Amino acid sequence: MEYEVVIGLEVHCELATNSKIFCACSAKYGAEANEHVCPACCGMPGMLPIVNKRVVDLGMTAGMMLNCHINRKTTFDKKNYYYPDLPAAYQTTQLFAPICVNGRVDIETSKGKKSVRIKQIHMEEDAGKLVHDDWRDLTMVDYNRTSVPLVEIVSQPDLSSAEEVVAYLERLRSLLRFAKVSDCRWEQGSMRCDVNLSVREKGSDKLGVRTEMKNMNSLAAITRAIEYETARHIDAIVNKTEELVQETRRWDDEKGKSFAMRTKETAGDYRYFPDPNVMPVVIDDTWYNRIKDSLPEFPEVKKARYMDELGLGDFDATSLVESRAFCDVFEAAYAECGLAKDAANWILKDCANLLNRNQMTADMLSIDGRALGKLIRLVADEKVGRANAKFILAEIFAGATDPEKIAVEKGFIVSNDTSLIEKVVVDIVAADPKSVADYKGGKEKAFMALFGKCMRELKGNCNPQVLRELLLKEIDKA
Amino acid sequence: MEDLLDMLEKVNQLSLTDEEKAVAAGYFAATEKDFATFSAVDTDGVEPMVHVMPLENVLREDVSSQPFTREDLQKGAPEAEDGYWEVPRLIE
Ligand SMILES: [Zn+2]
Repeated sequence: MEYEVVIGLEVHCELATNSKIFCACSAKYGAEANEHVCPACCGMPGMLPIVNKRVVDLGMTAGMMLNCHINRKTTFDKKNYYYPDLPAAYQTTQLFAPICVNGRVDIETSKGKKSVRIKQIHMEEDAGKLVHDDWRDLTMVDYNRTSVPLVEIVSQPDLSSAEEVVAYLERLRSLLRFAKVSDCRWEQGSMRCDVNLSVREKGSDKLGVRTEMKNMNSLAAITRAIEYETARHIDAIVNKTEELVQETRRWDDEKGKSFAMRTKETAGDYRYFPDPNVMPVVIDDTWYNRIKDSLPEFPEVKKARYMDELGLGDFDATSLVESRAFCDVFEAAYAECGLAKDAANWILKDCANLLNRNQMTADMLSIDGRALGKLIRLVADEKVGRANAKFILAEIFAGATDPEKIAVEKGFIVSNDTSLIEKVVVDIVAADPKSVADYKGGKEKAFMALFGKCMRELKGNCNPQVLRELLLKEIDKA
Repeated sequence: MEDLLDMLEKVNQLSLTDEEKAVAAGYFAATEKDFATFSAVDTDGVEPMVHVMPLENVLREDVSSQPFTREDLQKGAPEAEDGYWEVPRLIE
């Protein structure tokens, strides 16, 4: 008998907003405990939620990126349960009319192409964070994350291997980051995933007993958990090692095992009902079209355009479309200088270096792309030397917008005055007869030493080709 | 009715006396009767009402502000330390 695994995912992504979903508290990650709280997100009685418009913008954007139908009238509901990370004892979410339904995500694996259906995307608020203090035997509660806006993306059970799950999650992450819906950082919990899994006889249309693993936060752990659960289910079916029950299980990545948690309350126990405090949101054509018009090209479309129209190689194009920020800077720089390959190099090598040195990720690149384009033009026109251009790039990285002004102020503009170069060459050659003799004796390195001295004397502001010729001529004379 | 009351008692973390249960059962019986009345009405072709108030799009711009301090908010807390609210330990 052959078995197959059937997997559906619920993916939570924190939305890239400034403020929370129902109050004006900051939604930024990384503050001191309970710095970003107010009576509303602390669940104080009598507080009224007011929906953040940007959350609806981003919910719609997510849906459009995933080929969903957008519900033009969308409403919020209360999901009730008691837990200290949920101060109001209910979560405001969407059950009856979620913002998006019926979407599709296309993935590709070693087995070929596949479409994964999206059941729905709903907007909701995140819960707080609990820190368990073993020493004092109590639990500490941080409400900074309470009411931070999320979208939950619910797939149909269309996935049938860990490889497909990883491909699906990577595709989701790429699309959502590209559309600036979420920064999707697993390590900060801004992307999390619940895995629903069951096993059945191959070809059967009846689903087996389903188990759920909640709050998975890395692709490696998800892969291991799926492999473990699949084996456990098959073992239970074939060898009757245990009776499978529908339940929520906790994945322990260190032990490499899943463990049963207390039986999950059934959906009825959450007593969902329409939230009377949140008015329905109606999306008119103007709003809908504003979001539609703001969607970015899909990464693979951009990549093809970079290669076909701008002549970039596969590696450069692939690397650029890893990050929407890279693409934005690249396109602005290219529009300014018209040099695609140079622009790609400056971003993928020099900007990437600066990001690295500042412990920043690619998505955090926020330099003025036009300024970079101007700088590339200055270098291409041989008005600024490459070493000095790197210095100017660091200034642009720190916020500068006018590279030419910096070049003039710092004395970086390459002199076309060959008499100045000649004078330097004559002085250097006269002052270093040993290097001249060495070079004439066949030591190539000695030439580079002389060349370097001249460059330093000229502060890098000369055309290397011109310097080379003048220097060779002067050495000949010596 | 018995089952419903048991479930609600459990999920709301209450523990009701038999007397309280009898009172609650009375309320629920009356509510069930009201719903039976509603259910008898022919609602074919009636658009479901999503909200009792004729209001929509009560929205705010995405601007953050922090007018309350955590000290203000934790004044009424039975236990708070180092900026955290503290609650009895939860078993996973
Ligand atoms: Zn708040």
